[in-house]
Amino acid sequence: METNNIQHDLSLTVQELTGAYEELSLLYRISEIYSTLSIDEICSRIVDEAVGTLSVKTAAVLFIDEQGESLYTMSHKGNWDSDRRFARDNDIIWNSIEAKKPSAFCRIRETPHRDYIPRISSLMVCPILGKKKVVGAIVVADKELGEEFFSNDTKLLMAISSQAGLAIENASLYSELETLLVGAIRCLVKALEATSQWTAGHTERVTEYAGMIGKFMDLEPEMLEKLKICSLLHDIGKIATPKEILNKGARLTDSEWLEIRRHPIVGAEILGELKQFKDVILGIKFHHEHWDGQGIFGLQRDDIPLMSRILSVADTFDALTSDRPYRPKKSKEDAVKELVRCSGSQFDPVVIEAFLKWVRT
Amino acid sequence: MSKVVVVDDEPFILMMIEDKLKKAKIDVVTLRESRNALEVIRKERPDLVILDWMMPELSGIELCKRIKEDSDISDIPIFMLTAKGQDSDEQLGLQCGVARYITKPFSPKSLLELIRETIGNK
Repeated sequence: METNNIQHDLSLTVQELTGAYEELSLLYRISEIYSTLSIDEICSRIVDEAVGTLSVKTAAVLFIDEQGESLYTMSHKGNWDSDRRFARDNDIIWNSIEAKKPSAFCRIRETPHRDYIPRISSLMVCPILGKKKVVGAIVVADKELGEEFFSNDTKLLMAISSQAGLAIENASLYSELETLLVGAIRCLVKALEATSQWTAGHTERVTEYAGMIGKFMDLEPEMLEKLKICSLLHDIGKIATPKEILNKGARLTDSEWLEIRRHPIVGAEILGELKQFKDVILGIKFHHEHWDGQGIFGLQRDDIPLMSRILSVADTFDALTSDRPYRPKKSKEDAVKELVRCSGSQFDPVVIEAFLKWVRT
Repeated sequence: MSKVVVVDDEPFILMMIEDKLKKAKIDVVTLRESRNALEVIRKERPDLVILDWMMPELSGIELCKRIKEDSDISDIPIFMLTAKGQDSDEQLGLQCGVARYITKPFSPKSLLELIRETIGNK
């Protein structure tokens, strides 16, 4: 009898430890995954992790809107409408958020909340808390085997949501900083372009073209981001070019051309203080290099940074399709022909290939 | 009924896997020492062997090599459990014929799923 009791206790302990171990492995997994992702990606991973770990049919991540009045669906799986919202009133999910505690509702159809969410019979909610504020909530519903939710399930959901809260907060801080940085750069570029009537809008267009070429080359998101900043700043060196040259209404003399040709190096020098921008700076410095080595610095082929090779195509395409004081613009078709003609001499053939894919879509 | 031999010097890991597998109606033999493991595996002829990498006396990877050298038992699939998480370790494990390489802490639930996937529902 006594041995039976001990065995029973041991079995319960093992079960509990197994739950704790599951939780540990979960924490280990998600802290690793979440550190580098965007908010959308984090939310969809949270949903996957909740469905997999808790064996539920339905899961959703909800965010509180800016006014703090309503919850909207960020990511979901299973029995859930993507445009489902919950207004802030006497509501199951809001109560859980306000109490900052998870709550479970089994056999919901037998309770007054029967019509809360259609086609769902059991529900568990856990708030997603960041360090500074409440982000939203995770909702899971209906276990695969039709069981009810146990306290261990609550623990697992809390583990997921606590990691998620920090990861989402970090990602949103990062994206705010990034928006600020890109915004500041755009202001700087506008100030630059305001000094010359011929270059208005050039930077934004080059940035768009370079981005599209980058996408058609299947570049990584991080590289695309750098390419964007590089494109926005590529002509920043023209700040040092005399206004009379930039605004000259006629063909430039040789010495004026030499002055203009300094802008990549001047740009690189201006940005030299920004250690984090090393790649971007090199991209700017070499954006007038030619594939065959006939550019400003004489760099050739793969020695020219990829960002510069892309930028060179985007920059030339915009220059050809814009009016200049000494010549009218070319049609898009003629500009494309001109770029193709210079593929392998001025431009990297691989970049031209991606460019053609983009313009022909 | 399928049978699994588990060798790990951590008693808790053994208890946990034993509990999980028994509930899933899989026969389990657990060993806390790797010394006699080869004889036990020869005798039991399990459908799967789960080894911890880091054990005193005889390491999991060494044990794995010996199993693969013994033509009577060399076709038994082997799972390697380990706290080593580097790709180079995984490469070494896979070169020795390990079927699955599982880093600790692992999810007991996923482990059971992997076991079922490997040995089927005998």
